[in-house]
Amino acid sequence: MSQPAIIAENLTYRYGQLTAVDHISFTVAEGEILGFLGPNGAGKSTTVKMLTGQLRPKEGKATVLGLDVARHPKQVQAQIGVCFEFTNLYEQMTGRDNLILFARLFGVKDFDPDALLKRVGLDGRGKDLVATYSKGMKQRLMVARALVNRPRVLFLDEPTEGLDPASAVAIRNIILEERARGATVFLTTHDMMEADKLSDRVAFINQGVIVALDTPHALKQRYGQRRLRAQVATADGSLATREIVLDRPETAAEMQALFAQEQVITVHSEEATLEDIFIDITGRGLT
Amino acid sequence: MSDVAQPFSLNRIGTLVAKDVNLYFRDRFYAFITVLTMVFFVAVYFLLPRTAEDTLTLGIYAPVMPSRLAQVLADEGVVLQAWPSEDALRAAVAAGDVQAGLVFPADLTQQIMAGKKPQVRLYLTAGLPPELRDMYPLVVRELAFLIGGRSLEIETQTDVLGPDLAGRPLAPRQRMLPLLAVFVLLMETLGLASLISNEIETGTLRALLVTPVRVPDLFLSKGIVGVGLAFGQAVILIAITGGLSRQPLIILLALLLGAAMVTGLAFLVASVARDFMSVIGYGMLALIALAIPGVAVALPGFISGWVRGLPSYYLVDAVHRVINFEAGWADVGFNLVALAGFAALFVALGILALRRRFA
Repeated sequence: MSQPAIIAENLTYRYGQLTAVDHISFTVAEGEILGFLGPNGAGKSTTVKMLTGQLRPKEGKATVLGLDVARHPKQVQAQIGVCFEFTNLYEQMTGRDNLILFARLFGVKDFDPDALLKRVGLDGRGKDLVATYSKGMKQRLMVARALVNRPRVLFLDEPTEGLDPASAVAIRNIILEERARGATVFLTTHDMMEADKLSDRVAFINQGVIVALDTPHALKQRYGQRRLRAQVATADGSLATREIVLDRPETAAEMQALFAQEQVITVHSEEATLEDIFIDITGRGLT
Repeated sequence: MSDVAQPFSLNRIGTLVAKDVNLYFRDRFYAFITVLTMVFFVAVYFLLPRTAEDTLTLGIYAPVMPSRLAQVLADEGVVLQAWPSEDALRAAVAAGDVQAGLVFPADLTQQIMAGKKPQVRLYLTAGLPPELRDMYPLVVRELAFLIGGRSLEIETQTDVLGPDLAGRPLAPRQRMLPLLAVFVLLMETLGLASLISNEIETGTLRALLVTPVRVPDLFLSKGIVGVGLAFGQAVILIAITGGLSRQPLIILLALLLGAAMVTGLAFLVASVARDFMSVIGYGMLALIALAIPGVAVALPGFISGWVRGLPSYYLVDAVHRVINFEAGWADVGFNLVALAGFAALFVALGILALRRRFA
C-alpha cells in the first residue's frame, strides 16, 4: 500500500491565546479528494497554511509526499499547487504572463500557457490584463496557476465561492480531471453540495477540531435520516407538505395513513444533506 | 528539484527581477514620474545660472558682539551671519557654507578705545573670484566704521580655506547638482516601496512564497531592482550634467552606495505602509529629511552643522566635493566609509522590518 500523500499528526496552531487548530490528525491517500468542511473561522485556512508550509505548526507535524513540511517547505512547495481563498494575481499583467511567471519560478520546461488557459476556459483572453477579467475568470486563472507545475497535491481553498454557476462547474470539472490524472486534492469549502459531489471523503472541522471524517455516504448513513416528503391537496384546494421519517418501525403505518387520508399530489424521498449532519454534530450551521 | 535546494537561484532571481521591472513600468504613475523626474531635474540644472552670483555673504564671530554690529546683523538687508565659535565659522567657510568669515578679537572695543590697532582675521572660502577676494577686506573696514562710528585702523589677516579654486566661482547649478542627484535616488524609494507594499497587500507575495521562491530570493531581486533603477537614473543625471568628467569611480561608488541606502529605506517604508497614500506619506518624510544636506550645499549658510548627522550628507558632500572641488579618494574616503555604513544599516533594518510582514 502506498504512503498517504498528506499526513497530519496532532497538528496545532495558536494565534496568541486563540487555538485555531487543535491537535487534528488525518491522512489523505494519493489520488483522493478530501473535502475539508467547516464554517468561517473553523480553522480550515490555518490547516491549509500549515500543510503548505506557510505557517509552522505550534505542535504536531505535517507530512506531504513523505516530506516534513516544516523542515522542507520548499521541497514540498515545488510539488504542490495552491489556490488561495482570495484572488492574488498580478492584475497589471496578462493572464498568460501570470502563468508564464509561475512556470518559470517552478522551473517548468516546455510550458504551454495557451493549453492551460484553454483548459480553464480562458482561451482567447490570455493576452488581456487580469484587471479586465470578471471574478469567475480570475478564479479560473487562480486554479490554472495552481496547475502550472502539474502538482502531485493540489490545495484548493474555497475555489468556487461566489462564482457564477458556469465558472463553478468549470472548476469542479478541473478538480475531477486532476484526480483522474492521479493528483491528490485537498478541497477546503463550506459549500456542502460541492463537497458532497466531489469528495471521496469529507472532514468536518469545527472550532479547530475535526468532529467527523468519512465518505459522504457513510456519514449520511451514520448520522442522517432519510425522509419521505409528500405534497398534498387540502380541503380548500391549496397545497401542503407532509414529512415521514423513514427507517423506523412506525414508518409503514404512517405511510399507509398518509395515502388513505390525504390526496397525495407528489412524493419524494430525501437523504440528509452534509449540512444537516454538520448541524446535528456541532449544533451550528456551515455559514 | 536541485534548483529548489539552492538558497539562491539565478533563474528565480532573474525571473523576479524581470517581473518587478515589468510591473514598475506598467504602473503608469511610476513610469511617468521616473521619466518626468529625470527630465525635470536635468532641465532644472540647465535652467539655473551657469555663473556665480556676486552676493557677499559674510559670517562673523565676535566673542563680545559690539552693539553697533548687532544692529547691522539685525538689519535684514545685509547678508551677515553670526556664528557661535571661530571653529564653527572656519568649518562653514571651509565647507563653502559662507563665502567669508570674519573673527573679531574679544577685546575689540577696548583696543579701539585704547587707540590700538586691533587685528581681525578674515577667512575666505576657496573659489572666490579675485574681485570678491579684494572686496571682502573693504567690507571689513566698512564694518569697523559702523562699529566705531569713524574710520578705524585695523589689521586684517586673510586665510583662504579649502582647495584653491581662484577664479572659478561655484555656479548655482553646480551647487544644486548633489541635491538633484539625491532627489533622483529618493524618488526611487517611493516607487520600490509602493511596488513591495502593493505585493504584500494584494497577496501576490504570498503566492510567490508557496513556490520554490525563498525569502532571500525576494530581497535580492527587490534589491537589484531598487539599486538598479536608482543608480541608473542618478548616473544618467550626473553624466548628462558633466559630473563624471572628474573622478568617475568615486562618483559611481558614492551613487551606488546611495542607491543601496535608499533601497534599504524603501524596504523600511514598505514595512509600515499599507497603501499608495501611506507610501507617499512615509516616503515624503524620509525624502524631505534626506534632502536637507543637498539643500545645505545648494543654499550655503542656510543650514548649520547638524546636517552631518543625516546619512545623505555623506553622499551629498562627497558628490559636491568631487564634482565642484576636485576632491580625491583621500578627501572623501571617510564619506564613502560612512555612506557604506549607513547603506548597510538601512538595508539590514529594512530587511528585518520587511521580513516580519512577509511572515
